[in-house]
Amino acid sequence: MPQVLNTREANLFRTVIRYYEEKQYKRGLKAAEQILKKNPKHGDTMSMKALIMNAQGKSEEAFALAKEALTIDMRSHICWHVYGILYRTNKNFDEAIKAYKFALKLEPGSQQIQRDLAILQIQMRDYQGYVQSRFVMLKARPQLRQNWTALAIAYHLEGNLQQAENILSTYEKSVSAAPLKTDFENSEAVLYKNSIIAEQGDIERALEHLELDGKNSLDRLAAMELRARYLAQLGKNPEAAKAYRALLDRNPDHPDYYKGLVDALSISESDEAALKTVYDEYAAKYPRCDAARRLPLDFLTGDGFRTQAKSYLTLMFNKGVPSTFANLKHLYSDSFKRDAMPLVVDEYLKDLKSGNTDGKVQANGDSSKGEGAALYFLAQHYNYHMGRDLTKAMEYVDQAVKLDSSNVEFQMTKARIFKHQGDMEKASAAMDQARLLDTRDRYINSKAAKYQLRNNENEKALTTLGLFTRAETVDGPLADLIDMQCIWFLTEDGEAWQRRGDYGMALKRYHTIYNIFDIWQEDQFDFHSFSLRKGQIRAYIDMVRWEDQLREHPFYFQAALDAVNLYLLMHDKPQGSNGVNGVDGKTVNGDDAAAEKKKAAKKAKKEAQKAEREAAGKSAKQDPNKATALKTKEEDVKKDDDPNGLKLAATADPLGDAMKFLGPLLQFSPKNIEGQLAGFDVYMRRKKYLLALRCLNAALSLDKDHPRVKEQVVEFQKAVEPVLQSLAPKVQDVFKSEFIGFARS
Amino acid sequence: MDIRLLRPSDIPLIQHANLENLPENYFLKYYLYHALSWPQLSYVAVDVSRPAKTPYDYPKIVGYVLAKMEEEPSDGVQHGHITSLSVMRTHRRLGIAEKLMRQSQQAMVETFGAHYVSLHVRVSNQAAIHLYRDTLGFKNEKTEAKYYADAEDAYCMKLDLRFIRDQIKEARDAELAEQAGGEKKEDGKETEEAKNGEKTKNGSSGNDEDVDEGAAVGDVGRDPAKGRKKAVAAAAEKEVKVKVGRALGVGELVERVERRHS
Ligand SMILES: CC(C)(COP(=O)(O)OP(=O)(O)OC[C@H]1O[C@@H](n2cnc3c(N)ncnc32)[C@H](O)[C@@H]1OP(=O)(O)O)[C@@H](O)C(=O)NCCC(=O)NCCS
Repeated sequence: MPQVLNTREANLFRTVIRYYEEKQYKRGLKAAEQILKKNPKHGDTMSMKALIMNAQGKSEEAFALAKEALTIDMRSHICWHVYGILYRTNKNFDEAIKAYKFALKLEPGSQQIQRDLAILQIQMRDYQGYVQSRFVMLKARPQLRQNWTALAIAYHLEGNLQQAENILSTYEKSVSAAPLKTDFENSEAVLYKNSIIAEQGDIERALEHLELDGKNSLDRLAAMELRARYLAQLGKNPEAAKAYRALLDRNPDHPDYYKGLVDALSISESDEAALKTVYDEYAAKYPRCDAARRLPLDFLTGDGFRTQAKSYLTLMFNKGVPSTFANLKHLYSDSFKRDAMPLVVDEYLKDLKSGNTDGKVQANGDSSKGEGAALYFLAQHYNYHMGRDLTKAMEYVDQAVKLDSSNVEFQMTKARIFKHQGDMEKASAAMDQARLLDTRDRYINSKAAKYQLRNNENEKALTTLGLFTRAETVDGPLADLIDMQCIWFLTEDGEAWQRRGDYGMALKRYHTIYNIFDIWQEDQFDFHSFSLRKGQIRAYIDMVRWEDQLREHPFYFQAALDAVNLYLLMHDKPQGSNGVNGVDGKTVNGDDAAAEKKKAAKKAKKEAQKAEREAAGKSAKQDPNKATALKTKEEDVKKDDDPNGLKLAATADPLGDAMKFLGPLLQFSPKNIEGQLAGFDVYMRRKKYLLALRCLNAALSLDKDHPRVKEQVVEFQKAVEPVLQSLAPKVQDVFKSEFIGFARS
Repeated sequence: MDIRLLRPSDIPLIQHANLENLPENYFLKYYLYHALSWPQLSYVAVDVSRPAKTPYDYPKIVGYVLAKMEEEPSDGVQHGHITSLSVMRTHRRLGIAEKLMRQSQQAMVETFGAHYVSLHVRVSNQAAIHLYRDTLGFKNEKTEAKYYADAEDAYCMKLDLRFIRDQIKEARDAELAEQAGGEKKEDGKETEEAKNGEKTKNGSSGNDEDVDEGAAVGDVGRDPAKGRKKAVAAAAEKEVKVKVGRALGVGELVERVERRHS
């Protein structure tokens, strides 16, 4: 039987809750102890104590205690709720949902538990569950618009657009007073509803709704864009043209608007003159607009192109804009344009020498600016992979440097040319020189560090980056870069360690990136409730959809592919897998090498154990009360017990470890052939032939002429044919129909 | 190059651009907080000229402005604030920063009824100061000593956005004149109402149901913000903490970053 508290203790119990909410964990614990002294078997208090301990980072003890509390008081919703929270903080969301549901059964009216459950359901994308929860919450508090919106969101995400719209309409009908024009929540709800109507494909009704209800929308841009799009979709061309013109007047540097306008004007793609008239109009109207001057280069051909290129480049060079090339390089997929560009630039340089440049240079007073920009353009032109001529590139950049030796861009490009020549050492040194020309700019600092990493100078790169990371971070630049989720550095650093043969450090970086993606996924958690309060529903829906695809991001793909390939390497060359600090990639011959590797492996293990012991010692020494007294925030700072990845590198099952990275790779980026190739390699080694076949088939359909795919086909045949007979007939059939057929065709 | 509104899916590459360009960095959640609180205010510049390498290429962000509304304006006047602005060095001097800023300013007025926009800039940052003061018309309000983590001073700059309000009004009037019917007459007052509407809304709706939503599950925000404290008036910090932390739930994260940067 659960114990019952007397009044004094019941009050004390309330203060425990308050302390917890205020994060005064030490006090909270003290109060809980006080209750437990007299009522050692009071389940709710035990649970609260567990909750506090959990918040202090002692999650194992907390779990044990919460479990004990539950066995004592199975009928307490508090105990179940806390149990759910513990699961939640340990990221076991399924169990957390179960616990919340139990709690809710015991205390059906609890808003708090219902809310916690709902948030988890949407976090886990349990749309049906979320619909149910939001339904209950709406019934409890129908006077709140948020609750209606939330239910609509639930239906919307579940895919029930009709019902989502109904819910929003029902609310609208229930309010009698016309909403204020300045009611932001309403303005956004109207646009949200409009997006749902459009998503159902009923553009006509969407337009009607927008023009009626969305007329005074506070999000002007969204309303204007939607209207223009609907008008275009409905073929109302004159009105659509007008709508796109209005948008161009807002933002003449958004190419989509020109496209919308051109389509609405029914100008044919091949009618260069008519197209150009459109752009010229905006170029004249907006002197500072870039797109109207640059975009015609995309469609113009022949002399028309040359003339436009000349006038655009002249304008940019005269201003001394160093970024001109970056803005034009897409034109290079057209070989005529690629070849025309340097001629135009040469012409510009000649004009410059003869003083014949529209008088603009004179106005600027500095002709070296134009010359430098032009030379720089040519250097980039010859450095670009389409039309590369590195000798020429170097000539031009040297000329540019001669004009202005303090120019960061010029020096930076020198480094890039060295890189393309394959000389990373020189490239790294040159980029560092560029950095020294502007030590206050972090961009050039980042680039210098990146080049150092490409040259396997990990330590130096970290020192370079340390010039801009927060000085107060106790653990130095690395800790700051990890804190700030600096993916590019972690990836490059890992790859450099890998090249140096330090697999532990490499794996460490890849795992860190993996963890950052976990954080990014969990980051959405708070917004499930936050966005309802803020009322920015469309943005929230966008976020949810993006989060659903989070790991398709190239940031993830790169790191995961690196990790999988490294694990494969470790599997194939097991002795070498314990790459340790100090042992770099260089191969040592014969027995020596084997002995060396063995020694290294042993050392690695020892170091890992030592690190572990130290970490354990440290946490044991951390008297919880003292620690909290010292720190302002009572938070547990987990010490990394494997900072150099020694444990990771010492794995006995590299292929098993690779699966963690491979799964999301194949799930989210199935159309990336590199992932399929790596998947095949892993599955073959694990003798999972059906899964390997799946990867192989995917790779074949992506690019059957890829050299590695061809190799894999042969490898697969060789491996599978001998064992085919021994397989179950059903499986044999699958192989035969799926692969053999493929190979023959 | 394409100047357009930020989307949540841009955020990893915005964060990347920020880390490349500036020493003041934020975790991804802080970008989300902007994107989900004031999605109308943040813009990006996309390099549309690079060929796609995989089917999963994300638009390459070469510049961004991350902007917000001040949630608890100490002067009681609705205003915007520029949290971060940067352009990749390979794309500077193309006018990108200016365009990003102008788009954001427009939306601050239209959507949130902002009266002005404020920002901080390092006193040594010539490029940015030129942009703000000479190109955009910001005025230097005051200098904040040792504002930045490395002890550099900051100019605290402001731009009055009345000119945008006037433009909007003019455009509206013109539209009305064109429609000739003139069905609506209260348009001129709109921006003023917007300001008040926003205020009352904050006061009324946020607190009812959800006062401590999330409290039981505690803080799920990471704590990458340890350190980098700035000498900002302690009293102001307190206020931000209580208000933002309580009413908004994204809570601690915001609180911490705000203390660092604003
Ligand atoms: C400051 C920064 C954002 C400017 O971006 P940008 O896209 O190159 O700027 P724009 O092309 O829009 O230029 C706007 C104006 O500033 C001027 N300007 C730009 N860079 C300049 C420089 N280095 N020196 C002097 N003026 C400069 C331009 O000439 C233009 O002036 P104009 O109106 O007289 O023609 C960019 O340099 C940057 O990202 N720097 C690093 C990050 C940073 O400092 N951010 C600001 C933090 S508050």
